Amino acid sequence: MRATKLHADAFSGCNPIVNFMYFAFVLGITIFFLHPVLLGISFVSGMVYSIYLNGGKAVKFNLAFLLPLMVAAAVINPAFNHQGVTILTYVRMNPITLESILYGIAAAVMIGSVILWFSCYNAVMTSDKFLYLFGRIIPALSLIISMALRFVPRYKAQIKRITNAQRGIGRDVSSGNVIVRIRSGLSILSILVTWALENAIETADSMKSRGYGLKGRTAYSNFRFDFRDRILVVAMLLFFAGIIASIALHRLSVLYFPAFVINVPDGFVLVAYAEYLIICTLPLMLDIREDLIWRTLRLKIVSSGNKSSNGADV
Amino acid sequence: MALYEIKNLKFKYPESETFALDGIDLSVDNGEFLVLCGKSGCGKSTLLRHLKTVLTPHGKRIGEILFSGKPLAEADLRTQTSRIGFVLQNPDNQIVTDKVWHELAFGLESLGIGDAVIRLRVAEMASFFGIQGWYHKSVFELSGGQKQLLNLAAVMTMQPEVLILDEPTSQLDPIAASDFLATIKKINTEIGTTVILSEHRLEEVLREADNVVVMGDGKIIAKDAPAHIGHKLKALKDPMLYAMPTPMRTFLALEESIGESCPVTVREGRDYLARYAGAEGMATEVGYKTNGAGSCHPQRSSDPSPVAVKDVWFRYEKNGEDILRGLTLDVRCGEMFCVVGGNGTGKTTALGVLSGLFKPYRGKVSVLGVDTTKVGSAALFEKGLGVLPQDPQTLFTRSSIRDDLLDMVSHGRHAPSERGFTASPAEVLPEIAELTEITTLLDQHPYDVSGGEQQRAALAKVLLTNPKLLLMDEPTKGMDSFFKRKLAGILRKLRDGGMTVLIVSHDLEFCAQYADRCALFFDGNIVTENAPRAFFSGNSFYTTAANRMSRHIFEEAITAEDVIERCRQAKQR
Amino acid sequence: MQTSETKVTGQKRTIVAAVMILFCIPLTIAIGILFLNDRSYYPISLMIILFATLPFAMVFESRKPQARELVIIAVLVAIAVAGRTAFFMVPQVKPVIAIVIIAGVSLGAESGFIVGALTGFVSNFIFGQGPWTPWQMFAFGIIGFLAGLLFSKGILSGKTLPLSIFGGLAAFMIYGLLLDTAAVMMFTSTWTKASILSTYMLGVPFNLIHGASTILFLLILSRPMTEKLTRIKKKYGLVEERNDS
Repeated sequence: MRATKLHADAFSGCNPIVNFMYFAFVLGITIFFLHPVLLGISFVSGMVYSIYLNGGKAVKFNLAFLLPLMVAAAVINPAFNHQGVTILTYVRMNPITLESILYGIAAAVMIGSVILWFSCYNAVMTSDKFLYLFGRIIPALSLIISMALRFVPRYKAQIKRITNAQRGIGRDVSSGNVIVRIRSGLSILSILVTWALENAIETADSMKSRGYGLKGRTAYSNFRFDFRDRILVVAMLLFFAGIIASIALHRLSVLYFPAFVINVPDGFVLVAYAEYLIICTLPLMLDIREDLIWRTLRLKIVSSGNKSSNGADV
Repeated sequence: MALYEIKNLKFKYPESETFALDGIDLSVDNGEFLVLCGKSGCGKSTLLRHLKTVLTPHGKRIGEILFSGKPLAEADLRTQTSRIGFVLQNPDNQIVTDKVWHELAFGLESLGIGDAVIRLRVAEMASFFGIQGWYHKSVFELSGGQKQLLNLAAVMTMQPEVLILDEPTSQLDPIAASDFLATIKKINTEIGTTVILSEHRLEEVLREADNVVVMGDGKIIAKDAPAHIGHKLKALKDPMLYAMPTPMRTFLALEESIGESCPVTVREGRDYLARYAGAEGMATEVGYKTNGAGSCHPQRSSDPSPVAVKDVWFRYEKNGEDILRGLTLDVRCGEMFCVVGGNGTGKTTALGVLSGLFKPYRGKVSVLGVDTTKVGSAALFEKGLGVLPQDPQTLFTRSSIRDDLLDMVSHGRHAPSERGFTASPAEVLPEIAELTEITTLLDQHPYDVSGGEQQRAALAKVLLTNPKLLLMDEPTKGMDSFFKRKLAGILRKLRDGGMTVLIVSHDLEFCAQYADRCALFFDGNIVTENAPRAFFSGNSFYTTAANRMSRHIFEEAITAEDVIERCRQAKQR
Repeated sequence: MQTSETKVTGQKRTIVAAVMILFCIPLTIAIGILFLNDRSYYPISLMIILFATLPFAMVFESRKPQARELVIIAVLVAIAVAGRTAFFMVPQVKPVIAIVIIAGVSLGAESGFIVGALTGFVSNFIFGQGPWTPWQMFAFGIIGFLAGLLFSKGILSGKTLPLSIFGGLAAFMIYGLLLDTAAVMMFTSTWTKASILSTYMLGVPFNLIHGASTILFLLILSRPMTEKLTRIKKKYGLVEERNDS
């Protein structure tokens, strides 16, 4: 709801079912399997997509927030975890092992990926989409969420109005020490609470007047599930099944402790890597495809424009 | 057959002694446009809420309400939901969801209608109301007028047979209000939906109505077509006559005949005045003796101007648009100064600058002799500034009006007053409560009293700070004409006691009648300012109904009283 | 009638909760052990949190709450979220837990959980969802639930002081520890005493501020706000309405 996108994102235009399934798959695999190759793929594609969606803001965020967090995660693990057989050195009588360093890096990349993918999620999954998905499963809770999302900006505006009105009768809240400020903040909150509760009764009246509470309520949405969405869902399910099968067959496996062991990259495994790469870069591929189409369309428009003007000359 | 038939309906709220509805008999026909009017608290809302079971208040009730020939209570929730549409007063409170499209679909979802049908109905309504442009918007981005239109559309998607509206335009500015009323008329004439509407501002709505019902103290006083309702009120000597549109009041004051139909619109009033002038052989230029509205209060030369603004420029953000563009304003001591102007011209921002909330980036603002760019709002308050905000509910902190006011007494300034308010806090309170006529309401919860009463309680709260300069933002919003008169009386008393009052308002009729000086705000600046008579007669469109109606005959007649008086003068010659 | 209704919903919740505890949660742990070779505490705990939240959602939905109840819950959620704005001049101070506790006491344990969990969800809708969302939802929810439960059992009195102390403890112990635990599980592979302790120690100052501000909020807010909610419930017959249906 607050994300203002740099440019149209083709993936955001897909049905919310596609969006949600996608993020569930990618986040699920990222969180559940600390496989170095899968994590690497996830991290890089998450990074590129988040920059595609959020632009310079994302770069700034990544450097200022994500990087220190990842460094911390990478350092904390070997500092506290002394498992593993390959001892590199001792710090204050505690062994630092290669395995725990590797694990630390994996954990750091996992955290980084999760946060990157969530920043994409926040840009793609607007509140309408969430409510479309869950409006049928949890109708009452979805309605509360929708109402709360309507109330929050309204209340913020009202808090400003109350603050100004109170200043007009000599209650300035921006001065004084912390306790005084908290007290005046609380009196504003108190005025807000009364106002909100009393006025909300009319909201309830308006709901009842429009038949809320009748049996068999439906959930309307503007979204359609078209052919492209169907193809995407089938493709995602296939690739996902492929990866899960590889994991279940112990072909995609990794062990950090006591010693670092990773699966042999045979043909089967390479296919699984490729599948995961395709899943992770799916939105980007859609976007690139759309960008190319637009470019050719624009070329056509320009060239046809030239032609017609030439024709007029003749 | 009548759509609604109400027979001897009586209703009493719990813990109340008197009947809120006292023997109502009313029938509403299919396709009728019925306007319901009456003083605040006369039972209009209570009556309207009885027309839909889910909104009916708790309490004791006798009598009968028939809907399409059957008792209303027998119609189940589903039937009532789809057949009876109800729009309430406050545009904001009625909206449930966060998106325009979802709000439009809400009622249909309740009725259990499938996606395809909802899509069609919503598309139809969005096209009919012209809201396609904001179909995907968040509700928060809409203006008040757009919100009320959305509420209307969200009810109309269910294709009701009757549309009930409880003071739907009272919170809107005049332009949004007339757009809204035009839409209601369109629904009535083009779709045939029955309309029952209650309203304070009758100038615009009355001409659209088939019938007018006037209520008072829970009873129906009169019911008739707009052109004839005035005669009945005149015969009954009912004070509601005063609330009727200017042309009607002028006609009724000048004519004795009962049979003729009253002029309702400005055009009809104009034609009538032309006929009247012709018949009386009236000259079109009649001298005017200056008295009546807007007698100027002498300026106290010793005091500095309470408000002196010079070349002020202001914008909210560095890269934003300028809201105030070289504003210059001078308010003299002890006058009632009204600033009028459309929405979004910067009036409210100007008030914010005067009350020290916003700092201009260029220009000088001196309020009560203090440079507001240098001090905060607290210092201004110390100097004697009081601000009455547009929304009185932003002021109430306690659970009874008395506690709320006592709160001010213990915290406010209470230096000895020049206006005769005694210095002792305990004595100030009853005096101010008396002045604002809230003495009987003191023990009530601020949210249990009506909008007009909240406004008065808020005014009392501000007055308890003993201001020398009172800034008021839209003080007449949602008020009926009776209380407007009372408010004007209070303000005059305060002004005569030496207080300076600066009002920002949309309400031209109020400003014309009671201001000492008026100014037109446009594009972040004051375009023109003058005493009300010169001010309003200088404008051709942005002026009062009385002036528009009479300007071809009289100069400088700006209120109904002016027009009546001058007609009488002419006749006596 | 009121009591029999609460009993039925209570039973339903017990059944759903039993299914979750006896079936879903062990299954999750089993899958985790079978397929996730190393100790993947984070995903497993995440699933458990989700399963623990589900019964509340299911019971609430099946109860088909009235319009007025939904509106009051939405108002409280929005106040808890927007309430930060009132304290723009004091950073790091949030009234969320105070409001959730008051909601639990005034509206009951069930609604307390819903107000808490939805506050976590909606505030993250506005400030950005992240891996912390389910933890916050659960922590706020369970605080609201506990407040309501202890109050209805008569263990927690509705007076200002006990509520404030409860609030301080809840903010420090429940919210603080749960979120710190989440951080431990996300960051590290093993539960060594040292790693857990040091994370908690790092969290102590923040949790202390959070706890202290919650105490202060409840000291000032709890009585007037409870009164306001009582007034609304009485004025608009929220209590009776449930009996009608």
